[in-house]
Amino acid sequence: MEEILQVENLTKTFRLSRKQRKLEGGAAVKTAVDNLSFTAYKGEIFGLLGPNGAGKTTTLRILATLIKPDAGDAFIEGKSVVRDEYAVRSRIGFLTSELKLEDFFTPDYLFDFFCELYSVPTETAAKRKAEMFARFGIDKFAQVKVANLSTGMRQKVSLVISLVNDPDFIIFDEPTNGLDVLTAKTVTDFISELKARGKTIILSTHIFSLIEKLCDRVGVIIDGKLAALGTLEEIKSGKSLEDSFFGIYAAFKGGEEQ
Amino acid sequence: MKTVLTIIKKEFTRFFKDTRLWLTAIVLPGLLIFALYSAMGSIIQSVQEREQNYTPTAVVVNLPDSFAPVFSQMFELKEGDAEDGKQSVKEGELDIVMVFPRDFDALISSYSPASGQPAPNVEIYYNSSEEKSLTAFGSAQSILTAFEDAAANMFDINRPSEDVAYDFASAQDTSRMILSMIVPMVLLMLLFSGCMAVAPESIAGEKERGTIATLLVTPVKRGYVAVGKIAALSVIALLSGLSSCLGMVFSLPKLVGEASGLTISILTAGDYAALFGVVLSTVLVLVAIIAIISAYSKSVKEAGGLVVPVMLLTMLCGVFSMFVTSKNIGLFFIPLFNSALLISAIISGAVSWAYFLVTVCVNLAFAAILVFVLTKMFGSERIMFNR
Repeated sequence: MEEILQVENLTKTFRLSRKQRKLEGGAAVKTAVDNLSFTAYKGEIFGLLGPNGAGKTTTLRILATLIKPDAGDAFIEGKSVVRDEYAVRSRIGFLTSELKLEDFFTPDYLFDFFCELYSVPTETAAKRKAEMFARFGIDKFAQVKVANLSTGMRQKVSLVISLVNDPDFIIFDEPTNGLDVLTAKTVTDFISELKARGKTIILSTHIFSLIEKLCDRVGVIIDGKLAALGTLEEIKSGKSLEDSFFGIYAAFKGGEEQ
Repeated sequence: MKTVLTIIKKEFTRFFKDTRLWLTAIVLPGLLIFALYSAMGSIIQSVQEREQNYTPTAVVVNLPDSFAPVFSQMFELKEGDAEDGKQSVKEGELDIVMVFPRDFDALISSYSPASGQPAPNVEIYYNSSEEKSLTAFGSAQSILTAFEDAAANMFDINRPSEDVAYDFASAQDTSRMILSMIVPMVLLMLLFSGCMAVAPESIAGEKERGTIATLLVTPVKRGYVAVGKIAALSVIALLSGLSSCLGMVFSLPKLVGEASGLTISILTAGDYAALFGVVLSTVLVLVAIIAIISAYSKSVKEAGGLVVPVMLLTMLCGVFSMFVTSKNIGLFFIPLFNSALLISAIISGAVSWAYFLVTVCVNLAFAAILVFVLTKMFGSERIMFNR
């Protein structure tokens, strides 16, 4: 199997404000990602599972080159997220609730705008826009300002815009958060479709059913560290994913205390 | 009552727990007023000292013995006749010309108001559009008026006459002088308002709404994002500034009165080009400063608060330009203040290309440094994401 992502000893700490220090027992820094290493293979969906504050989003933000690690590196299609950030950005798609679209503009305008930023040829952009807008039912709302769209439609527009460059490597951070069941299904179906088209996907979530439905392999992150890594079946080890996760969590915390 | 107190407590907690908020709302105004008044005081003091140290020049025709001691102490008396002196006053080489009637002392001692004859008249020629000439005129007039009062109105000073103009300044010169004091501050504030209307929304607003991250995750270099924003904001702010300028230019004749002879044609095409150059470079500086503050701020509201000192500083530059008449080129190396001085010089018709070039180059260089700082800020995850 071809390795498309190599994460090597990734570490990220954040300096805490005075108020945050009180919550963290006086520590001046918090380690969000602690010496994390894993690999993702071409064409698979790799799930990052963990509780809130475990370091999933920080890891994905490093992979998307929004922030830099303090130590370690990650390579996407051989390009370093530290040294070749612009090359990485042109190769990936990144969808997170953190990234918002400007309310003032229409989906049509935004799609064209981001295509220009990604240097997508005009004809390709037009064809891709027509396909994607039709696929998600955005075409009817193409000229409606984002401000006037429903939450579900906004998420669909965000999803489409995150893929304007038709990347082979896609990062989804909690892609179904806050969505109604119908929109959530549309998104999960599309992620499966992307996999079928040979795309590699890194997916972060705390929803067990999403992991079970979509992922080939799973990394469990707790307190910034990789607590478990394996195929979905290996992680589950004959139990439900939920039971396995709590077992891993208890073992990790118990081991830490000892 | 208890619930009211609970609400008050919550509001106070919200306010005083936010260090930035109480700093900008309580501490900063006092500090700024202190700095503003201290600076104004020292400038006024330096102007007064300059005036005290300056000895006005005068040509006095038929200087009477009674005035010789006081005028020779007050003025640097120059040799010359009345006509040459008047020409020198018009050209700004001499401050005033005083013309006494021959045998002034004998005339006033023999003059009787009851005779029905006009009293002996002392003529003082000056140029009110020149600050030094106007000050010298005031000094001479006050001495003569005091003497006239003591001598029981035995003579006149600048008796009104249709044939004689004592003030060589034209109505247009006077208007230009007044405008050169008012316009720099008004124009700077208008430009500032134009920049303020767009820059915080475009940068702090995007941070606040989370749309800047969407832009920064694209393969576009962050420096290009910063430069693109500055360029677009500058054009918009410039258009806003030009709109204000046009409104001001066309309304000024109405403001100072049509009789002043002030029309938009008092400035030449070259003056307007110079004005455009200085406005453009000033807009770049202002946009870059406000953009940096906006990039540092978490929200448009915070940017609005943090930008207040810059607004006062800009206003201060306009105010100080009213007092500073120095042609020291060193002053033109101070961004924004140089703009105020240059606008004043353009309007008063005393602009020099050296001052223009220094001002525009300094402003452009300063704006370039600020844009560089902004690009670094766009690259800082702490500033763009983690604050």
